[in-house]
Order: sequence, then C-alpha cells, then structure tokens
Amino acid sequence: MGNAIEIDHLTKSYGKNRGVIDVSLKVKEGDIFGFIGPNGAGKSTTIRSMLGFIKFREGSIKILGMDSVKDHEEILKNVGYMPSEAWFYDSMKVSDVIKYAADVRGIDCSQEAAKICEKLKVSTEKKIKELSLGNRKKVSIVCAMQHKPKLFIFDEPTGGLDPLMQKHFFELINEYVDKGATCLLSTHVLSEVNKYCKTAAIMREGRLTMLDSPKIDDDTFLKFYEDEEA
Amino acid sequence: MKTILLKEMKLNFKNLLIWSLVVGGVGLGCILIYRSMQEEIAGIGDTFSNMGVFSDAFGMSTLSMATLAGYFAVEVGTVHGLGGGMFAAITAIAILSKEEEGHSGEFLLSLPISRKKVVAAKGICVLCMMAVFTIICGALYALGFASLGESLPAGEFMKFMFGQFLMNIEISAVCFAISSLSGKNRMGMGLGIALLFYVYDLIGRAVPDLKEYLFIGPYSYVNGSEIFSGKTAPAAAFVIAAIVTACSLLFAFWYYDKRDLAS
Repeated sequence: MGNAIEIDHLTKSYGKNRGVIDVSLKVKEGDIFGFIGPNGAGKSTTIRSMLGFIKFREGSIKILGMDSVKDHEEILKNVGYMPSEAWFYDSMKVSDVIKYAADVRGIDCSQEAAKICEKLKVSTEKKIKELSLGNRKKVSIVCAMQHKPKLFIFDEPTGGLDPLMQKHFFELINEYVDKGATCLLSTHVLSEVNKYCKTAAIMREGRLTMLDSPKIDDDTFLKFYEDEEA
Repeated sequence: MKTILLKEMKLNFKNLLIWSLVVGGVGLGCILIYRSMQEEIAGIGDTFSNMGVFSDAFGMSTLSMATLAGYFAVEVGTVHGLGGGMFAAITAIAILSKEEEGHSGEFLLSLPISRKKVVAAKGICVLCMMAVFTIICGALYALGFASLGESLPAGEFMKFMFGQFLMNIEISAVCFAISSLSGKNRMGMGLGIALLFYVYDLIGRAVPDLKEYLFIGPYSYVNGSEIFSGKTAPAAAFVIAAIVTACSLLFAFWYYDKRDLAS
C-alpha cells in the first residue's frame, strides 16, 4: 500500500516567526491519522502547506503521489478539506453553497450530498448567515465529502458539533475509509484519537514526533501540552 | 472558472443595480430638469464661461451650457465620471481581499481551481460589471434626451460613454492590484484613489503648469466638454492608461499567486 501523504523536511517560517521546522511525515493509504498538538504548534501550517494556501521554500510535499506545487489542481480534485473555521458566503443558501462546490469540481454530487445532508440533518434551505457554528461545520463536512475524495483533511472538525453529529461524522469517515480513502484528522480531542485513529503524531513548537501508538492516556496526552507551556 | 464568475456576478448584482440606477438616475434627473433651467442657464451662460480657472476646471470655458449637449457634458460628465470612478474602485478593491476578510478563502481555494483562474474569474466579473454599469447609465441618459425631444449627438455620446468605460477599467485595475495585496478590505483607500484621480484632473485643468501632465490621470481622456466640443484626448493618455491597466493586472496575477493566504 502506498503513501497518501509524504512530507519531506518541510520548513516554513513567517518572517522571524517560527512556523514548522524540518517536518517529515508519511501517512499510508487507508489510514486515519491523528494529528495532535497545542495551539500554535504548527498543525495548521502543515495542513495549509499541503493544500497550497501558504508557500514554502524548504522541503517537499507529495499528496496521493503527486507534487503539491506542480499538481496542485489535480490534488485538490481528490482531496476533501474541512477548515477549523467553517466560513462561506453569508448571503448564499446552504444548498447553493453545496452545489457551488460541486459545480467548481465539475461533477454532479447531488446524490452523495443528499445522503450526507440527511445523515447530518443539514437545513439546506437556510442562508449561511442564519447558521450556528455547528451547522456551518455540517455544511463544511458535506462540501468535503460529497465528491468522495481519496484523501480527507479535517482541521478540528468536531468543535461545535453535538455528540450525535460527532458520532455520525465518524461513521461517515469510517464508511469512506473502508472504501479506500485516507483521513488526516487534526484535533485536540484525545478520545477521537484513541477511538478512531490508527496512527498519530504530535506537533510541538513546529517539530513533529510520531507516536508509537494512538492509544494514549489522559496524563500522557496532557503532558504534551504542559511541556509546551513550560 | 465559469462557476466562480457566475457566483461573483450574482453576489455583486445588487450593488451593480444600485450604483447603476443611482448614478444613471442622477444623470437622468439632471437631464430632465434642463428645460426648467434652460432660460436661466442661457442667461448666465457667459458668466459660467468666464469664471477663470473654475470654468477651465469644469470645462465650461470650452462648451456652452446653453445647449443640452453642453449641459450634459458638464453636469452629467461630472456625475458619471465621479460616480463611475467610485463604483469601479470599491468593486475592484474588495473582490479578491473579501475572501480572506470574510474567511471564505480556504473554502474557495480548497476547490480544484488555481489561484490564477480565481483572479481571472474575478477580473472578468469586474469587467462585466463596468460594462453593464456603462450600458444602464448610457440607456438612462439616452432616455433623458428622448424625453426632452432632443436629438442625441450619437458620435460624441458613444465616445464619451466608451471613454468612461475605459476610465473605469483603469481605476478598477489599479484597485484590483491593491486587492491582491492582502486580506483586508480597503474600501476607503479605493474611494480615495478615485477621488485623487478626479481632483488631479480638476486641479490640472485649472493650474497652467500642470496642464501638460494631465494625460497621466485617467480622467484626462473622459472630459465631457472636450469630447462634446470635438477635441481629441492626447494619444499619450491612452498609452499611459493601457500601461497602467496592464501592469496592474499582471501584478495582481503574479502577487496573488505567490503570497501566503490568511486563514
């Protein structure tokens, strides 16, 4: 089985501020990869570099075997991304946002979108500006999943979702992963890592360390954060 | 790219309609009140033409306001020039930066489309909006002439409206480049740029030493009085406009493609 994500010696800084330092990472196809670490550790910088939102000069990133810079558009056809802040265009209706995302992809995702909307109880007739954070996140999940991508990248996906929706969300992930997809899950929730992830890594002060197992206890988990504060 | 263009047009439709109807409506109103002011204007026509630098600045020394064409060139020329410039500026200065300002950038750019195509779609949207704005305003002005039973000086009118369209493109290109710089909405700066260009032209026409540098500003080739009195704008003005527009657009494509986007 090949690697869905291959990051090789990625370094990114913002002027004098540290972003990530010499990050190397491999995520195998079919994995649910837990990406944990304190706020500002560099998780989002790594994800944003993978998706081309920020430019890096040192290192390389391969997604689904393709170069993240040269094959940017082709990669995004096969990636479903959910940002930590789920923002869209306020004046648009939910159904229009979902259709817009599918139209830009140039594919008809209506069947899959309807299935996910039903499972997550998404109110498609409401306007985005009428939605709470949790409901915006549900729209974001639909947009990330409706085209059945090969790789999911979720940045703190469950914040704002009620427990039942969190359960449905992970059921959907497992369903897609069972069909061959891969998932990178950036989160602060230990139970999610323990329960759903097959492998995991922690990011601290811009550096990445692979964990031997994603099954870690509360004390070990909190120690990662305490060390950062110290 | 077509999907993004259509979405942008839809999101901007209300603004386009409001600005077109307000600017065109004010212009139409100016035309419609001409009859009630005709006698007074004719009576003080000479005074208007002999107010020194003030007459030069507003073009009243070039063209008689006693005719509807002269009145249109001076009055509606000012309204449309200023209104169109402001509309072009605020439309273009927000169109790229609003994605980061409204935090929708990550959603848009996680879709399989390059940043260059996003810039192209939004640039085409601005172009279409300026064209529709010009057409709606032009139609309202023509309606004004028809309502008064006056024949429209078609050649000069088309030249005037097309010049205004080009001027709007130039201002929007400058603001489009600024929009590519960061994720902050700089509407105030956009309005400032439009006003600065307008005031530059106004002062340039009043101050003899500045007259030979008028061609630098975008308002130099859309002066209603000059167009309606048959004068041609210097070729240098169009060359500068083409260079400024092209450089601004190239800069927007280049810079937006290479910079880090805010979350």
